[in-house]
Amino acid sequence: MSWEAVARKDFQDAVRSRWLWVLSALSIAVFAGAAIGQLYLGGGQQTPQQSQGLLQGFLFFLKQGTAILIPLTAIVVAYASITRERESGTMKLLLSLPHSRDDVVIGKVLGRSAVVALPVLVGFFVAFLALIPQASGVNFLVYIEFALLTALLGVVFVGISVGVSAGAKSNQQAIVGAGGLFGAFWFLWNFFVSGVSRAVTDVFSVSAATQYQLELTLKLLNPIQSYKTLVDSLFMSDLQARVQMFSMLFGVIPNPQAGEALGPELSPLFSDPMVLLFLLVWLVVPVGVGIIWFREADL
Amino acid sequence: MPAIQLDGVAKQFDGVTAVDDLSLTVPEGEVFGFLGPNGAGKSTTINMLLDFVRPTAGTVSVLGMDAQARSVAVRERAGVLPEGFSVYNRLTGRQHIEFAIESKGVDADPDAVLERVGLDGDGDRKAGGYSKGMGQRLALGMALVGDPDLLILDEPSSGLDPAGAKEMREIVREEADRGATVFFSSHVLGQVEAVCDTVGILREGRLVAKDSVEELREAVGGDATLAITVDSATEEQLDAVRSLLGVDSAATEGGTVTVQCDPGAKTEVIGALEDAGVTVHDFETRETSLEDLFLAYTEDDAATEVEA
Repeated sequence: MSWEAVARKDFQDAVRSRWLWVLSALSIAVFAGAAIGQLYLGGGQQTPQQSQGLLQGFLFFLKQGTAILIPLTAIVVAYASITRERESGTMKLLLSLPHSRDDVVIGKVLGRSAVVALPVLVGFFVAFLALIPQASGVNFLVYIEFALLTALLGVVFVGISVGVSAGAKSNQQAIVGAGGLFGAFWFLWNFFVSGVSRAVTDVFSVSAATQYQLELTLKLLNPIQSYKTLVDSLFMSDLQARVQMFSMLFGVIPNPQAGEALGPELSPLFSDPMVLLFLLVWLVVPVGVGIIWFREADL
Repeated sequence: MPAIQLDGVAKQFDGVTAVDDLSLTVPEGEVFGFLGPNGAGKSTTINMLLDFVRPTAGTVSVLGMDAQARSVAVRERAGVLPEGFSVYNRLTGRQHIEFAIESKGVDADPDAVLERVGLDGDGDRKAGGYSKGMGQRLALGMALVGDPDLLILDEPSSGLDPAGAKEMREIVREEADRGATVFFSSHVLGQVEAVCDTVGILREGRLVAKDSVEELREAVGGDATLAITVDSATEEQLDAVRSLLGVDSAATEGGTVTVQCDPGAKTEVIGALEDAGVTVHDFETRETSLEDLFLAYTEDDAATEVEA
């Protein structure tokens, strides 16, 4: 398959950039450093329950960092993946060979995903080694799931960035597009959610439950919030994790109304597999739109 | 089945016409030289063969296939040296060739390819450190991988020194002997004349001449070029010369007027110039070459722009 050749070449090319190595070093430092700090500062022997608590605390704290760092890293690695090749002229060399434009976009998504996901997984693996001696009772499955979710978040943002890059005419357009989406997810999304919710409540008189469900759906359409609530699900019930999305100050101030409105039984529409699906939509749709734009472009 | 067929092809970029109603057929096995001044639409035409850009009108078929719908199949059988490309700076020369081999799904020896294009010994260096000419050789090597049925070379000699340009011509000849069709563009006739069976001349997006090199030679063979040294001459004054019987074209640049005409019309040309008020100092006659013919098209072009 042609996209395989493109992906391999792209990765080969990227491996030779300092980026990959800087990212690997950075993620090893962050993850392993955080693990060591969290566990060893606790000090002394711990019961399994204490260890488990430490791991939760560690991941809960780490999640706030990864939710910013990983998308930013993915954007930096991938925003120019198509536009830079168009601007420099390497795209002409690439498309002189028998690759379809679709294969170029898909190959780019795969190649850059590897560039982002590998350092993340390496970082987690090193942190894992650091955790072993201290945390005999730690549920390592949770830890591995967290690592995989974080790598997936990176891949989703690679998909978004490559998709934007495929549709953009210049590097500048691509960075504005990808950066703009990131900004919207972080800073504007909750305004958008409450705005829509208020408008709907004004027009139709809906119950509190419906209102919270609407807000939850809108929140889950934000890939960063989907990622965070999936991480929370690793050590809480689905319902608790979703209710957590309505709390203030990084989850410190809870919102009991949300719990009442969404409980006692969480609708299957908001279960973990569905949230994962929400997240994957952000992988498929931008790449798909990018492919269609790129098909139409004059190089 | 022709190797390349264009029917009524046009391409506009934001209202600017790059190629206008272009119809062209290149038979299989031919070496076709696509000539024209810079900006005439040569690269746009080639980019339409490769589906880099899409025609606004007309149809393009390459190796019997629709250039747009079956672009990948076209590029499986065509080797391409594009214009305005750049190499992957961080990959070595050999990795470029290996990528071409992998992409085309063929079995070939990267070192043999590198040697053929004169890059033996440079294969392990990163292509970012290559000169423009070496980049050109590398891309030619990628194009040659897999013995394509059609070679599309856009300004292949750009960046090459005379020795490199000669090697390029030798490779073109070898490929033609193997049976490949070669379509290549140039704005310098000298690089085309020696290897082409046929040339087409493009000007302002239109094909203004297409003939075999021999026929073109014959067509201009009877003509003479008259180079007349003058004080100065305006386009209006040249019109007097152009209206004479036996005069094909007339152009002026600085203190020289160049006229293509029957050798017998010489005296009348000088007379007409003097009657129009031009001070003639000197003149010399030489036989017209293909270069003159080509320049007549290009310079004509320049004159039109000045008038406009």
